Amino acid sequence: MDLALQLLVNGIINGSHYALLGVGFGLIFGPTKITHFAFGPIFAVAAYVCWAAATKLGMPLAAAALVGIAASAAAGVLSYLWLYRPFERQGSSHLVVLIASLGLFITLENAIGIVFGTDTKVIADLSPDIFLWGPVVVTSIQLWQVAALALIAGLLAAFLRGSRHGKAIMAMTDNGEMAQIIGIDTVRVSILAFAAGSAVAAVPAVLILFKEGATPHMGFVAVFMAFVAVVVGGIGSFRGAIIGGYAVGIVENIGMWEIPTEWQSTIAFVVLFLILLFRPAGLFGRALR
Amino acid sequence: MTSVMLQATGIAAGYGRKRIVEGIDLTVGRGEIVLVLGHNGAGKTTLMRALFGLLTPDAGSVAYEGREIAGRRPAENVADGIAFIPQGHGIFRGLTVRDNLELGAYAERDAAKLTQRLETVHGLFPVLRERAGQVGGTLSGGQQQMLAIGMALMHGPRLVILDEPSIGLAPNLVDKVMQSIAYINRTLGTTILMVEQNVKYSLPIASRVAVLKTGRMIYDGPPDPLHDRVELMKLF
Amino acid sequence: MDYLLHILVMVALYAILAGSFNLLIGFSGLFALSHAAFFGVGAYTTAILAVGYGLPFPWPLLAGVVVAGLVGLAIGLPALRVGGEYLVIITLALQVIAVAVMLNWTSLTGGTQGIGNVPRIQVLGTALDTAGRFLPLAVAVAALSLWIAWRLGASPFGRALRAMRENEAAAQAVGKNVVAMKLIVFAVSAGIASIAGALYAHYIAFVSAVSFTIETTIYILAMVILGGTGNLSGSVLGAAILVVLPELLKFVDLPPDIADKLRQVMYGVILIVMLRLRPQGLLPEHDEKRARVPAGLGGDGLATLAPASPADGAVTVEGRGLMKGFGGIVAVQDFAIDLQRGRIIGLIGPNGAGKTTAFNLLTGFLAPDAGTVRVRGEVVSGRAPHRIVRAGMARSFQDLRLFRKMTVLDNVRVALPAQKGDRLLHVYLLPWVVRAEERANLGRAMAVLRFVGLEAKAGELAESLSYAEEKLLVIARLLATGAEVLLFDEPLSGLDPGTMESIFPIVRKLAQQGKTICIIEHNLDVIRGLCDWAVFLDEGRKIAEGTPDTLIADPVLAERYFK
Repeated sequence: MDLALQLLVNGIINGSHYALLGVGFGLIFGPTKITHFAFGPIFAVAAYVCWAAATKLGMPLAAAALVGIAASAAAGVLSYLWLYRPFERQGSSHLVVLIASLGLFITLENAIGIVFGTDTKVIADLSPDIFLWGPVVVTSIQLWQVAALALIAGLLAAFLRGSRHGKAIMAMTDNGEMAQIIGIDTVRVSILAFAAGSAVAAVPAVLILFKEGATPHMGFVAVFMAFVAVVVGGIGSFRGAIIGGYAVGIVENIGMWEIPTEWQSTIAFVVLFLILLFRPAGLFGRALR
Repeated sequence: MTSVMLQATGIAAGYGRKRIVEGIDLTVGRGEIVLVLGHNGAGKTTLMRALFGLLTPDAGSVAYEGREIAGRRPAENVADGIAFIPQGHGIFRGLTVRDNLELGAYAERDAAKLTQRLETVHGLFPVLRERAGQVGGTLSGGQQQMLAIGMALMHGPRLVILDEPSIGLAPNLVDKVMQSIAYINRTLGTTILMVEQNVKYSLPIASRVAVLKTGRMIYDGPPDPLHDRVELMKLF
Repeated sequence: MDYLLHILVMVALYAILAGSFNLLIGFSGLFALSHAAFFGVGAYTTAILAVGYGLPFPWPLLAGVVVAGLVGLAIGLPALRVGGEYLVIITLALQVIAVAVMLNWTSLTGGTQGIGNVPRIQVLGTALDTAGRFLPLAVAVAALSLWIAWRLGASPFGRALRAMRENEAAAQAVGKNVVAMKLIVFAVSAGIASIAGALYAHYIAFVSAVSFTIETTIYILAMVILGGTGNLSGSVLGAAILVVLPELLKFVDLPPDIADKLRQVMYGVILIVMLRLRPQGLLPEHDEKRARVPAGLGGDGLATLAPASPADGAVTVEGRGLMKGFGGIVAVQDFAIDLQRGRIIGLIGPNGAGKTTAFNLLTGFLAPDAGTVRVRGEVVSGRAPHRIVRAGMARSFQDLRLFRKMTVLDNVRVALPAQKGDRLLHVYLLPWVVRAEERANLGRAMAVLRFVGLEAKAGELAESLSYAEEKLLVIARLLATGAEVLLFDEPLSGLDPGTMESIFPIVRKLAQQGKTICIIEHNLDVIRGLCDWAVFLDEGRKIAEGTPDTLIADPVLAERYFK
């Protein structure tokens, strides 16, 4: 029973992480409809820049985290302007853009490896507090992961509902052509979406750096978990992405009860496969296409 | 005739190599309701999209209030007082009625004007006030069309271009939608350029009619001679 | 020297992989990114059978082909349901799962340790244990594998694959069974890829999951895109370049780890640059010179296609009591129609009256909720579209759906009925039969093109035609199916009156030759000018029928027509 409880708590913690990834990815995919694989390595950029700012430049952690987030946002915007936008202008199909995105994925991931090396980068003198709640153990970083989701989801909801730009994103997510018809500059909204989505994803990246350290390959898992969260929850819905993230986090951890540990990371992919095959509109969402 | 609001000359447009309309001349006078008729595939939608800037015309000029606007982006046309209501889903189906109306006024930043226009729209279509919190896609077909028209009015356009507002609506609703368009034209002085297939309810409100056939204009004049359906059918 | 030979061996192996991958993504348009998994299945099957059971070459290789073929079928199943980006993501997930299985099924695969000491291939008592000794075998097997791929791609089956890539519904509408085609191409592509895996296992003498990850799939993808999708020579070239190019890095003094990453960066950049600047690849699929068709082929009539039958007015198609609803809205209601040999019947009515739905019900693109369709007395309702085409009824589409990146000739050739070359058994075992049939079909296709006046454009891509020519090609393709009953959905819409009238005689001639014709048109000039009889549809049911002139002069119908 104690183990079940611990697994559930772990599931919620990982779920918060996945939910944030899903929200960040959805923020980009929703309005632009670009399947942005390079979301993964850009996620990693945040962690590495934060690490470099903290250890090489000796910045305080909070400031370093902000630098990491800013770098990620900038990289996201550049990926749109330099890679995706020219394809959009050319009128390329979604599939071509997706393959190009895979190209950027592999380029960036390896570039990071070349610049920083393949060893795990950790912030050395970081010792998170450990809390014992009855039989359950949690660390302060894990609590931060849960809090980050709550905070960002709240801010994002306020931004999307309350601000002009936020509404433009919602409008374009709902119907890109109507957005154009009512006078929204869709290129500017796309830039904004890439900036915001990359910044949102940078937060869990920085937290993972604090928790486990950064590796060049970390983006691969990130972008796939984002896919899983978005697909499980239903494409086009932020609430869906959050529910999807939690669902995957919990299933993955509860699954450990029966399934050997080495298969844990595979569970999410099996879930992704089954849902795309049988419920492409997601478990909770409605099909937008 | 009243002063000219929109004058298109020699418009040619299409997709890729495919020319859909060719050599179209069309004049819309201020305060008019101009109806464009034509069978499926005659090029009505293409023409409207080219006029509004969703599609860049391959040739020809479009003068709006004397300014050349051919090839201008939709956002600029919206800011200049033109609204477009596309065929079918002219709304954001996943957003509430309130959000839809607010977004309709995306180009308008003056809060006082917004409140006033919202009043006007609610006055025209009270159901949109009652259903402010409802998600657009769950409205009935007729209500969705009213919402689409309401959205277009939210930024106070001088010219509204409608692409088949009757599509998918039951006859009594078509009548209702046409009557509201006529009412808007009368009370707000909004100029209307409208594409339709439904002649029965649209012809009575039109001040002038153009008939498009396989990409060319074959009739441009008063609505009266077209009231005889058999004559009209011969034109088609 | 040995180093150089090693590179050549790797070129041979990757040429197999790129070529087989091209069959999937280039020829068939199925972007299933799990090719490294097929490669791995071949390698592991060979390693397991050779190490664990001592099976000698080539038995493990052949077993690998069978296993990979089955895995290919399994991975092909999602492609029956989803396409485009969904297929990419779903197959990437499968690729990850496959690697996880290789890593974690330790009892079979050796887990992270992999399987070592895979025995060398023995030929005449000599072990092929150096690159030099292995190279001749690698080249021979690669040549054989590529020949298999090339035969498939160049056959009528390959042409059908490209048609399916261009437009699935249109491929069905010319009688192709796309479900079977997808499964077959997945199995064949996976089987060929596994051959590379088997060679690799014997050559390196060691297999481990790290060789078969997503990175490898992307590597092979880059080869295909660089060389040119839909062109197998391109894949060989792409493989050669992408194997040799990174080797140049060896001349720079770099730590091996960095060099490896630089290699990956290179693939990524090449992918992006090619897609931006030359998406068709170094060797494009379409070659103007090769596509040129010699003049004077094919007769003048359509006699070879389908013998003319008397335009006797006999009923060939009977639709009875057809019903179709979509989520509570009734689209077609109790619809009955008779079509007759030698007559041109028009289907008219206001927008949304259910005309195209009626066509979809007749041709099997929609299954009717109730009612039956008979073609020459045989019940065809409930059959898949391609089987209804084979029973003698074919349709065109409002939005044309040409096979745009195929030549005009191939658009017609692919539609010809009952092709032996559509079956791989014939392609590989009776090549001379297929060759003779191809020669005959070239003549038949040219005759069809001459009939509509497009013979001069035979070698051009369909996408380069003018709009009027596209419309003619739609007619030609429909004719080529050899079907007796031809349903045209707005064949003349968007044409200027002059062009339109120049097409009238073609349609009339078809009717005189005993075809049964039904036309949907909104332009009433067409109905008046072409049809013997017209059926007026509104709200999903037949309201009236009669000669076009009586229907058009009927005030009640006119009122309905304009609502």
